[in-house]
Amino acid sequence: MSTSPETATASQGYLPGDLAMWFFILAELSVFAILILTFAVTQALKPEMFSESRQLLSSPTGLAMTLSLLTAGLFAALAQEQVRQSRARCGAVFLLAALLAASVYVVLKLTEYRHLLASGLGLEHNTFFTLYWILTGFHFLHVLLGMLILGWLAERCRRGLYDANNRSGFESGVLYWHMVDLIWVVLFPLVYVLN
Amino acid sequence: MAASRVLVVCWAALAALSVCTVVLGHAEASTQLSIAILLVAVGKAWLIADGFMEMRHAPRLWRRLMLSWAVVLAAGVGLTLVS
Repeated sequence: MSTSPETATASQGYLPGDLAMWFFILAELSVFAILILTFAVTQALKPEMFSESRQLLSSPTGLAMTLSLLTAGLFAALAQEQVRQSRARCGAVFLLAALLAASVYVVLKLTEYRHLLASGLGLEHNTFFTLYWILTGFHFLHVLLGMLILGWLAERCRRGLYDANNRSGFESGVLYWHMVDLIWVVLFPLVYVLN
Repeated sequence: MAASRVLVVCWAALAALSVCTVVLGHAEASTQLSIAILLVAVGKAWLIADGFMEMRHAPRLWRRLMLSWAVVLAAGVGLTLVS
């Protein structure tokens, strides 16, 4: 494979990060696919319950969560560009910006969870909320792990441990964050918007 | 286009499509509207895969795998909506 996306040809291609990370991403996407399809099938069996329950969620809040995750993804990708130009310390600054954007998602999600619990809409309220808590809770844990990884990458960037020739670990960490984003953009319309 | 500019354009498109999803969600529910929302989700997933994850430079097999994930899910969810 080529060593950079710029020099990659169509036949060879350039796969950022470690190959093992890509297999891990495929495994994670498969697990979420099963959960998402379970949600969709159950919705088809109980459409009224899902429609009424979905009205209790705020789609503008869901939109704000989406924008914060995507903004974190942008900053993480910009940090990667800095590392590729051997400017790891600039990369650390972008990663801190990514963490700040991701923190907005965490605050919004925790506020939503607290509000739902205070309204008695917990895991056992009905089938919609059982699946809502499992699906979004599982994703939330991935966001927290993603933030830990970004923080770890930022610290290593600050210490100058990455550069243009030593970046595979960095790219793998950033890929994990993009996977979290990828899952959310499918999960968000299904849970908050579709009727 | 510089790599950083590509990323910013991707992010702007993703933000616009996210707003579009919520706007569509507030319209009167119909099967066509639900399919439109799913198609927007597929578009966003492709932007993340090709833009942020750089699948546009990846070997064909990996790119097809990543792009097909959202398509398969949207098709599955769509089938449950029309059945």
